[in-house]
Amino acid sequence: MLDQIPTAFLFFAAAIAVIAVPKGPIRNSFMLLVPIIAGYQVWNLDAGISSQVELFGFTLDLMRVDKLSRAFALIFALAAFLGNLYAWHLRDTVQQVAALIYAGSAIGAVFAGDLITLFFYWEGTALASVFLIWARRTEGSYNTGMRYLIIQIASGVVLLAGAALVYRETGSITFENMTLGSLGTWLIFLSFGVKAAFPLLHNWLQDSYPAATITGTVILSTFTTKLAIYALARGFAGTEILIYIGAIMAVFPIFFAVIGNDLRRVLSYGLNSQLGFMVVGIGIGTEMALNGTAAHAVASVLYQSLLFMSVGAVLYRTGTSKATELGGLYRTMPLTAVFCMVGAASISAFPLFSGFVTKPLIIDEAGAGNYPIVWAALIFASAGVLLHSGIKVPFFTFFARDSGLRPKEAPSHMLLAMGFTAAISIYIGISPNFLYSLLPYDVEYHPYTTGHVVGQLQLLLFALLAFGVLMRTGIHPPEIRAINLDTDWTYRRFLPNVIGTVARSMSKVWALNSTFWHRTISSVISRLNNSHGPEGRMAQVWPTGSMVLWIAILLGITLIVNFVS
Amino acid sequence: MSKQKDDPANYPALGRMMLWVDKPGSANKIFWGLTIASILAFLADFTYEKHGNFHIAEIPGFYGIFGFVAFTALILIAKTLRVFIKRPEDYYGDKAIDAEDYPEDQLDKVDYDA
Repeated sequence: MLDQIPTAFLFFAAAIAVIAVPKGPIRNSFMLLVPIIAGYQVWNLDAGISSQVELFGFTLDLMRVDKLSRAFALIFALAAFLGNLYAWHLRDTVQQVAALIYAGSAIGAVFAGDLITLFFYWEGTALASVFLIWARRTEGSYNTGMRYLIIQIASGVVLLAGAALVYRETGSITFENMTLGSLGTWLIFLSFGVKAAFPLLHNWLQDSYPAATITGTVILSTFTTKLAIYALARGFAGTEILIYIGAIMAVFPIFFAVIGNDLRRVLSYGLNSQLGFMVVGIGIGTEMALNGTAAHAVASVLYQSLLFMSVGAVLYRTGTSKATELGGLYRTMPLTAVFCMVGAASISAFPLFSGFVTKPLIIDEAGAGNYPIVWAALIFASAGVLLHSGIKVPFFTFFARDSGLRPKEAPSHMLLAMGFTAAISIYIGISPNFLYSLLPYDVEYHPYTTGHVVGQLQLLLFALLAFGVLMRTGIHPPEIRAINLDTDWTYRRFLPNVIGTVARSMSKVWALNSTFWHRTISSVISRLNNSHGPEGRMAQVWPTGSMVLWIAILLGITLIVNFVS
Repeated sequence: MSKQKDDPANYPALGRMMLWVDKPGSANKIFWGLTIASILAFLADFTYEKHGNFHIAEIPGFYGIFGFVAFTALILIAKTLRVFIKRPEDYYGDKAIDAEDYPEDQLDKVDYDA
């Protein structure tokens, strides 16, 4: 019976039911049970299309199961489980309902076989996820959430417009691999690009993720962007422009990550850079590259969650996630520190950690496809990721100078969630074949060759050495309490300023204009009044008698006219 | 969190073990250990036959040099970039998350010896 229900509906039903479950451990157990059931269901699904629904003459495919969609749905279910475990302490119905609908929508979108279903779930993720930001319940988070929502909803609207144009052109709403060309496909591409945080369309991510609640950010980090990666892999595999977009995307956020102060924002930039690797893989579009994208998406969901969890735990205990305020926390939060370092090692792709077995799939394909600049950009980004997520986050939180903060270790459910995530990241790194068996195409890849291990160790060790040298010589930029401008400046500062200036000058011109006419008309009236008014000059020579005379003349003329005619 | 109360003997066991990193001289040991590890990784390049997609990757120590240079360049560029884009935390006004504190009621601040 279970396989008859679309996976997304399991989550939606649970989101309604959760309100009736009493708050506390029972409800939190329920929150854990839902992703387990969903994961079990997805695991046992047969490939093929099921659950078709008729809507206004369209056939909607709610469940298109193949290896690509299955891999993403599985990691989404796992991430939902880990996120809900991490949020065990939560007694907030809004966040719990939002988390379930969000995960359900993301899984629903992954299984969507047509563009209309995709659109519904696409907007579902936007609407549900914003509540994870608003749940912080501050004015700042409200404003950020509004910006986030506008951009996310816009992405959905663009998707719908694109879908309509593609339908008019081809007569089909099936969501399959497309070739960029018509306006419709470009719109769909743009819509995916917004959610995937393409360069210059990216800043909603770094704006909103640090604004969400502690548990909300962990959940946010998984779904929206990886859904976009899935959608690109499904719709635009082999689109060459993606290779270059991805390469820029892997490099450009790193600089911002290096100088960021809020560590959750630093991690958001790091996440953006990791998405770049996946986009390159999609652009190359070979079987191996797409495998690499799927594998890297799975690994990155895990280590990114782990990093957000560890910084979240620090925030939970100290009230801040700013590098300038933290430091030396390993003394009293050693387990969180260790888990954070596992996440850091995984994202930096140290041998024996998950990134090491997934990232080279993409980098090697960039080499094999003879894209030397892209290849070099990805290696550059690999050194960069070590800097911001590999060193900066754990070093400035748990080591470096002693901030004097002595918080208690993270609560046990958070430790458990981090421990699970860390264990899976290491497991993937040690025995990658399990992950490889879930990938869309057959894999024959051996990450642990001498060349790979030595090459990667060299890259990382020398980069670490460079960090040591720069720290000792004082060249490494100090952490400072500040924010850095990014493209959000255009709509948070520049456009409001432009609109303000235009509005002010328009009203000035309007005021000048109306004063001018007011003055002109007034002066005409007053001059007329002066000359022709009761006290005017003309009036002086108008005795009452002349009026009587004129009336008499008028009457006389009337009489003559009457007489003549 | 008064300093007088701060007693390393009450730290979690793992935390006490890690106190080594803050001992005088440990930073030096880590740095030189890293240097030795880097040299070993470099020398390891001569023990096997390299074959990459590009000839440049076959130069011994290519990844090491690339890592060192890329990392240094990255920091220098970022440092320069910061000069241009750095702004005070309340740049976007006091109704932005950077200028406000995380709501206390959603936190559970506890000291280690509480």
